[in-house]
Amino acid sequence: MEKMFILNGQEVKVQDYKATPEMVSFTYKGKNYYYMLVTRNEHEMILDHGGRFRAAVSSSNKEGEFMIMANGREATGALSSRKVKKSGDQGKGLNSPMPGKIFKILKEAGSSVKKGEPIMILEAMKMEHSIKSDKDGVVKKIHYQVGELVQGGVTLLEVE
Amino acid sequence: MKIKKILVANRGEIALRVLKTAKEMGIKVVTVFAEDDKNLPHALFADESYSLGFGTLQDTYLNKKKLIEVATKAKVDAIHPGYGFLSENAEFSSMVENAGIIFIGPTAESIILMGDKIGSKKALEKLTIPMIPGYHGDNQDPDHLIKEAKKIGFPVLIKASAGGGGKGMRIVHEEGELSEAISGAKSEALKAFSNDNVLIEKYVVNPRHIEVQLMSDTHGNHLHFFERECSIQRRYQKIVEETPAPNLTEDLRLKICETAVQISSGINYRGAGTVEFILAPDGKFYFLEMNTRLQVEHPVTEMVTGHDLVKYQILVAEGEKLPLRQSDIKQNGQAIECRIYAEDPDLNFMPTIGKIDRIGIPTLRDVRLDCGFLDGTEVGVNYDPMLAKLVVWGPTREIAISKSLHSLDEVLFLGVKTNRDYLKRILSHDKFIKGFTHTHFIPDHKEELLPRALSDEDMANFVAALGFSEGRKTQKFSSGEAFLKTPWTELSGFRN
Repeated sequence: MEKMFILNGQEVKVQDYKATPEMVSFTYKGKNYYYMLVTRNEHEMILDHGGRFRAAVSSSNKEGEFMIMANGREATGALSSRKVKKSGDQGKGLNSPMPGKIFKILKEAGSSVKKGEPIMILEAMKMEHSIKSDKDGVVKKIHYQVGELVQGGVTLLEVE
Repeated sequence: MKIKKILVANRGEIALRVLKTAKEMGIKVVTVFAEDDKNLPHALFADESYSLGFGTLQDTYLNKKKLIEVATKAKVDAIHPGYGFLSENAEFSSMVENAGIIFIGPTAESIILMGDKIGSKKALEKLTIPMIPGYHGDNQDPDHLIKEAKKIGFPVLIKASAGGGGKGMRIVHEEGELSEAISGAKSEALKAFSNDNVLIEKYVVNPRHIEVQLMSDTHGNHLHFFERECSIQRRYQKIVEETPAPNLTEDLRLKICETAVQISSGINYRGAGTVEFILAPDGKFYFLEMNTRLQVEHPVTEMVTGHDLVKYQILVAEGEKLPLRQSDIKQNGQAIECRIYAEDPDLNFMPTIGKIDRIGIPTLRDVRLDCGFLDGTEVGVNYDPMLAKLVVWGPTREIAISKSLHSLDEVLFLGVKTNRDYLKRILSHDKFIKGFTHTHFIPDHKEELLPRALSDEDMANFVAALGFSEGRKTQKFSSGEAFLKTPWTELSGFRN
């Protein structure tokens, strides 16, 4: 069975994927991988694929992403069935300059805005940052609601 | 006066740091917390803790009036301000003392003096403390400025007197470039600040940031606890600090430390303080500033000298004599501190947020993780992104580095991306290992500090780790309050 994962925003396809609670095996880029679970607790595990290494997987955030650590390296990952922002999604609309909480939405979807006009206020480091329109246009879509926490660099809204 | 109860007017790891020593001294500890911090250990682990409510920093941790109200209500004898926040606020220290409470820190006069860049330089020149050679005068005639620049010696830095932000700033390497640089700096300064006055200072190439830990009591004892090397900085923010400073001769080390003591004794300082110096490659050093508080990086000094600086702060505040002499203070081995930040070093150091499922515990001896979070707490958007300080001691610098690298792997903050991997890249850089540190280390080695590409095997390992986790129950990321795991919440399905 072919299976897809999203790792650091990139699609990663593996073939002949098999998984039981004790083992996971697949083919990736023509090479066969076979992992055994040595031991685990809620988040951490020791895996064996010839040599043993530490791995850990966080609980998923509400975007369905996990933080993964394996053999000293880190990545964000998701199962492909989940809807996940891909790295290509950035830059289409107005992005959050840093992580924050949506404090106020000043313009609803459908309202017309002038360039430089604030549309949304983000609260971060106990300060307010207004998200201003980068052009004259109409607010097409607002992706978040008041009170939601957002990561840095995600698309908050789109103006057309 | 014996202090029996302390209010810590701070949050996070430093509130816990003060709490730890106070408890060892049998002193009761009161902490304060903003409502969005109420699940953090500094709010939970004190003898008493009080809410500062919701709102901005001004409404909470910087709310002087409210803090004094809490201190009065809780009947504390003293307030420890930690670092940052109100630690160098003379108005607050006066308010505390006027309320009949001891301020664990220097006098308001010292805070004001050292907070004033020009005033402090004037006072220190009288004490013959070396200052960066420069011309700060009113005679702005270009010929006069050229004469002054030649007197200082090249390279020189020309900058706007009213300045800031690099506007009107020029580095001049030889006399021929000078007159053009002066006129350029002047016109830029005029545009930016409506004032074309410039000043000239010696430009130090590859400077090191060396600071000295000081402690003074009110009986005329002014001690130093040796130096710290804090050159590894990103955008003026220290990220790796160590002591002793590598590649420093014993003579120079002592000269720097004794110069710092000349300052603390010269201004009759009280309590813990740090004098920062710029050290030039030719061994000349110049006063930069004095921080009139406990520093973030104080633990490396504690590990190498074996002394508890917070304990001495409290003793001095009680009016006691420091229970040691200069000759009792010795450097033993090497200590390195790495500041762990919630940020993504590979995405332009963007701050990161999220719920920390688990904080890795360092397992080696003589390793200290000063951390203000617990498993299950959330890193939000409202405060400084420093999550913890990893402080590692080793008998040699080589061992301290290798132990730090091992410990950085252990102290995973599962759920929140941190700069751990970036710190590993710094500590394993050849120039760092050789102790060739200076304040431009990070920009100069930018390319070598880029992440190592992920191999196919790394990707396969991630797939496997995800595969073993698929279908397991996952906890929802709560968008508001932190969720604290306790035996009681764990037993939520249990009925009795």
